[in-house]
Amino acid sequence: MRDLYTSELEELEGILREEGKLVDRAIRGALNVLARDDLELADELIAFDDEIDSRYLTIEQRIPSLLARQTPVAGELRLVLAILYINLHLERVADYCVTVAKLAKLAHGLPRDAGVLEALEEMGERCREMLDTGLEYFYARDFTDSQALIDMDRPIDRANRKLIDRLIALGPDEPQREWAMRMMLVSRCLERVGDHAVDIGEQAAYLVRGRFEEFTDASHKTNIK
Amino acid sequence: METIRTKIEISGVATPPDARAREAVFEARGVSVFYGDQRAIDDVDIDIYRRLITAIIGPSGCGKSTFIRTLNRMTDLVPSARLTGELRYRGIDLYGPKVDPVEVRRRIGMVFQKPNPFPKSIYDNVAYGLRILGLKKDLDGRVEKALRAAALWDEVKDRLRDSALGLSGGQQQRLCIARAIAVEPEVILLDEPASALDPIATSAIEDLMHELKRDYTLVIVTHNMQQAARVADMTAFFGLDVSPDGSRQGVLVEYDETEKIFTNPSDKRTEGYVTGRFG
Repeated sequence: MRDLYTSELEELEGILREEGKLVDRAIRGALNVLARDDLELADELIAFDDEIDSRYLTIEQRIPSLLARQTPVAGELRLVLAILYINLHLERVADYCVTVAKLAKLAHGLPRDAGVLEALEEMGERCREMLDTGLEYFYARDFTDSQALIDMDRPIDRANRKLIDRLIALGPDEPQREWAMRMMLVSRCLERVGDHAVDIGEQAAYLVRGRFEEFTDASHKTNIK
Repeated sequence: METIRTKIEISGVATPPDARAREAVFEARGVSVFYGDQRAIDDVDIDIYRRLITAIIGPSGCGKSTFIRTLNRMTDLVPSARLTGELRYRGIDLYGPKVDPVEVRRRIGMVFQKPNPFPKSIYDNVAYGLRILGLKKDLDGRVEKALRAAALWDEVKDRLRDSALGLSGGQQQRLCIARAIAVEPEVILLDEPASALDPIATSAIEDLMHELKRDYTLVIVTHNMQQAARVADMTAFFGLDVSPDGSRQGVLVEYDETEKIFTNPSDKRTEGYVTGRFG
């Protein structure tokens, strides 16, 4: 029984790893859709979400069964809970990628601004790094400090702010303003991806340390105006 | 601000027992128990707190039952048994020369794994200890009170003169608890009280324990870890140490709030046992 249980836990973590890789591809895809203004790729990305959802649902459905049958405790309980929450965070990140693809479709054909696109690309790449770092903490069970993730999150928040300034400066032209509004929402999506990456890091910390701590307190954030 | 704080406190689940409010009933310091030359438990330090449920868990042979039996001097009944170290009950040396073991067992009652009612009526089972102690005033009232406290009254009130042996296993066990509490002890020790019962009867015993902790200090030995997780405020994990000469003795590995033991134990051996990886 014990072996079966262990292999079930390993299998669940394996599915989560797959899901993590797929989500990284989704973020990369969303950034490409933006950079190339590629409608076809946008549709592909929206459809690709089903791949992620199927992993998400598998984990979501198997955990109640595992809890009921095996009543995990101690480190194993923390592992199951971490998988449950990280699964949820990854699924949310994937949803943001779909939103970015839909926004890109709505913005198709409108006048674009290279500076804004560059800033979004930069934000997106930081998000990928953060997600990778958060997941790596979890896989390695080797969480030492939260600073790296918080440090990575700061440029995202700053870029988000800079982007807003740049969008305001784009001027009164109506199509340009519409594009700017769409891109503001894109920026917001990417900023949220960064927040989910921090949450994933927090789950890794919970698994390793056995107590939950928030890396940053959202209600007392001082770095965004 | 004030409202928010109150709300949080009300919704707070699994509030650990307030460490400041704890009052130690038993204080064991360096307690070892020997059967002849064989050391059964080695150097146990533990405080057991008033009106909490303390669970003792651990693999077979780790000295759980031996330990719980030292708490009401039942080990005295084993001729070869010997205790060293210090065991205080409410500040009094439990093994001191002036202490009467019979009085100890009145104050510290015990319920065993297998329900063991006397082959007498339900009423007489509960009244037995009271009569021995000469507590004959309002016997009916005392019997009813004990049966009510053991959540058995409604099931037996119309057949108090029937034989206790006609009750189901779960009812018999609650009768044994009623018999233990009839003499108004301060502590109830329970050695695997539900291991011979089905899940429904087990659940009734667990509910009862939860009720009883309002008035009594409870210590339970259990093999069922989920039971410890469900009922206990504090959990002590006993493990087995193997000496270089191959002899084995029980040691207290970890003692903490139950929630801590089952979510984030400090000792690898505890983790291994509660997760079922070994032991």
